Amino acid sequence: MLNIVKERRDDALTVKLEGRLDTTTAPELEGALRDELSEVKALVFDLSGLEYISSAGLRVLLSTQKTMNRQGSMKLIGVNETIMEIFSITGFCDILTIE
Amino acid sequence: MGKKKREIGILRQVAAFFLIAVLIIGIVTFFMLRVQSIDNVRNQTELLAEETANEVIMSVREYPAHEWFLRYWYRHADELDVEYDTDYSAGTKTEEKLQLVRRHHPELSLKYAEAQELEALPEEDQKLCAEIVYSWMITRVNQIKRAYQVDYLFCVVADEAYQSQCFLFSAADEGAVRGTNYEEVYVLGTSVSIADNQSQQDAMRQALEHSTHLAEAGDYVDYYAYLGDVDTKAAFIGLTFNLSGLLADVQAQTWIGTGNAVILELLLAAFCLLLIYFYVLRPLKHVQQGIRTYKITKDSKEITESLSLIRSRNEIGQLSDDVVNLSKEIDDYLGQISAISAEKQRLGTELSIASQIQEGMLPSIFPAFPERREFDVYATMHTAKEVGGDFYDFFLIDDDHLAIVMADVSGKGVPAALFMMASKILINNFSTIERTSPAQILETVNHHICMNNKAEMFVTAWLGILELSTGRLKAANAGHEYPAIQRRGGPFRLFKDRHGVVLGGMDGMRYQEYEILLKSGDSLFLYTDGVTEAADAAYTLFGTERMLRGLNQAADAAPKEVLETVKREIDAFVGEAPQFDDITMLCLRYLGDTMKKITVDAKIENLQQVQSFIDTELEAAGCSMKAQMQIDIAVEELFVNIANYAYAPGSGSAVIGVDVKDGVAEITFADSGIPYDPLKREDPDVLLSAEDREIGGLGIFMVKKTMDDMFYEYRDGQNLLTIRKKI
Repeated sequence: MLNIVKERRDDALTVKLEGRLDTTTAPELEGALRDELSEVKALVFDLSGLEYISSAGLRVLLSTQKTMNRQGSMKLIGVNETIMEIFSITGFCDILTIE
Repeated sequence: MGKKKREIGILRQVAAFFLIAVLIIGIVTFFMLRVQSIDNVRNQTELLAEETANEVIMSVREYPAHEWFLRYWYRHADELDVEYDTDYSAGTKTEEKLQLVRRHHPELSLKYAEAQELEALPEEDQKLCAEIVYSWMITRVNQIKRAYQVDYLFCVVADEAYQSQCFLFSAADEGAVRGTNYEEVYVLGTSVSIADNQSQQDAMRQALEHSTHLAEAGDYVDYYAYLGDVDTKAAFIGLTFNLSGLLADVQAQTWIGTGNAVILELLLAAFCLLLIYFYVLRPLKHVQQGIRTYKITKDSKEITESLSLIRSRNEIGQLSDDVVNLSKEIDDYLGQISAISAEKQRLGTELSIASQIQEGMLPSIFPAFPERREFDVYATMHTAKEVGGDFYDFFLIDDDHLAIVMADVSGKGVPAALFMMASKILINNFSTIERTSPAQILETVNHHICMNNKAEMFVTAWLGILELSTGRLKAANAGHEYPAIQRRGGPFRLFKDRHGVVLGGMDGMRYQEYEILLKSGDSLFLYTDGVTEAADAAYTLFGTERMLRGLNQAADAAPKEVLETVKREIDAFVGEAPQFDDITMLCLRYLGDTMKKITVDAKIENLQQVQSFIDTELEAAGCSMKAQMQIDIAVEELFVNIANYAYAPGSGSAVIGVDVKDGVAEITFADSGIPYDPLKREDPDVLLSAEDREIGGLGIFMVKKTMDDMFYEYRDGQNLLTIRKKI
């Protein structure tokens, strides 16, 4: 359902998400990030393969953003139109860095 | 008030008539005077002429031998040596001749001599006698002429054919020239032709017949008197008067007379006008002024005071009394009218409030049941008066039963409206109590109406109860019009059900109940007789045929449009004719319960099963990718909510339904967990920074934002949440 590809280069981490980020899969992402994030200063989410996101997914993105606010930066790339609309409705486009 | 008529005073009108009358009378007077005067002149002239002529004739006939003398003068006119214009004094030729005759015949008295005596004289003496008498005669007629002031006085002998006159003697004024020429005084024997003087000829002929005749020619009047015959020829005394001076006098007299008459008449007219002014016009103007003031002030006291100044007891006085009385009556009426109109206004206001209350009693907000997709109902009422006796009603008895009522109270106006209110409430109440049997409901309602029906009013009613889950329609008819049923896609047809007696007609009546099975897409049409009995200007009724035709024009349209079409048809048919009865219609389309449902344990593991169940339906309906994803998110958020909280800490099941109609997807969530209305949850503040954002409530917020419609209901121990989205 959700395919998570991580790519670590020193203190930079790129996480590529493919598929659906929903109630079922959000805990998977949360778990995958928990071990990786402590040394990361620049976090990039590549969402070009993401088809679906529900509030559970948004919650993971929000808590990650809060963590990264303390230790570095976080940005989202490859956000497609459908996902972008959900960010707009919920006001997430203002609190996330989207390129 | 804009156009002001030109005012013409009575005085001016009457004065104009008087002037015309005076003018006419003046002209008539003038002519009458004139004719009369001329007649007078004529008569006097004739009298004078007759007198003069008689005088002359007498003078002639004084001589017993006058015929002999005339004849002699006529026969010997050329031979006689007569002396004209002389007198009897001595030294005249005639005196000498007389001396001579006396010497020859001392016994002869010339004045009294008979013809025989003269005839016996010798020829010379005869001649002398004729000459003497002739001179005497001339002197005599000269005297007569002067005495009577005749212009011409003469004696002529006319020939038989009246072609000429032979003058015997003519009178002359002093110094007049005698001769035979025109304008000279003719001497004896002067013959004048009168061949071309017809009036002279006629005058002489007339004189011969009537002994005298007066002939007028211009200013002159000729008078002829028959004297006698001379040698079978007629001798006449002729007189001529010149009337020109006299006539001028007459004219002047006529003018003066006419002038006097006209002046007198004018004075009389002026006097009459003055009387009219003082006795009629002045008081009339006073009355008029009073009326005009009253028209503005409407103050009868003022006009009473003002008109009391008119004290005359004639018609004007009566008129002013009448006006005063009339103004008092008008005041009374005005008072009454204002009281009546105030009362009428109060009644109108009350009626309009009553009408509002009545209208408020009928369900009139459409769609009436936005959360129900099993049926669509629409109803209208167009009242003929401010309040009417028709009513319709529809209400859910329970989740699965819809009651439908169409009724018509006998009579119109306020009584019907009151009865209608009572009937509607009774039907509504007993429907809720009795629940499923329309016949039984009608029996109970009938009983209650009959218990207290002193006005003996009644109401026709059709009552149906539709089981929404199955489409079973139970109905009973208390004397109301036949309903019309449409099977899906087909035409509307009257359903001739069995009529019971009207409600309020007789206590203890039984009503026949029947059942119709409605399938998805079937429609029911109910109406009152205001529809079928709508009449055009020629009192032709609209009738059920036209009604069905109207229905079938829009048979497949939504109920609202069906009713609008029928109403349009009625309006077109009726035209300008007034509406007599309320026009009330109701249309219900049964759509049925087409919702597909899945029952699962409310657990997150089952989310995927629920989502694929819904996706299958959406895909089958050709849903757009974006809408499908938004619906998926909504389903996830709502189902996760139920899974996490509804039965916590225990567990239970959830029923999820999906139905797509007319391009709108409806998804329902039902659970028997703790009552919870997610719509009441406050929306998160999407403007806060990441640090301040709370994650809770975001899911419901997303649902609200992306779905078109969302409502919650807690019913029969269940949380019922419905979302709708155009796909």
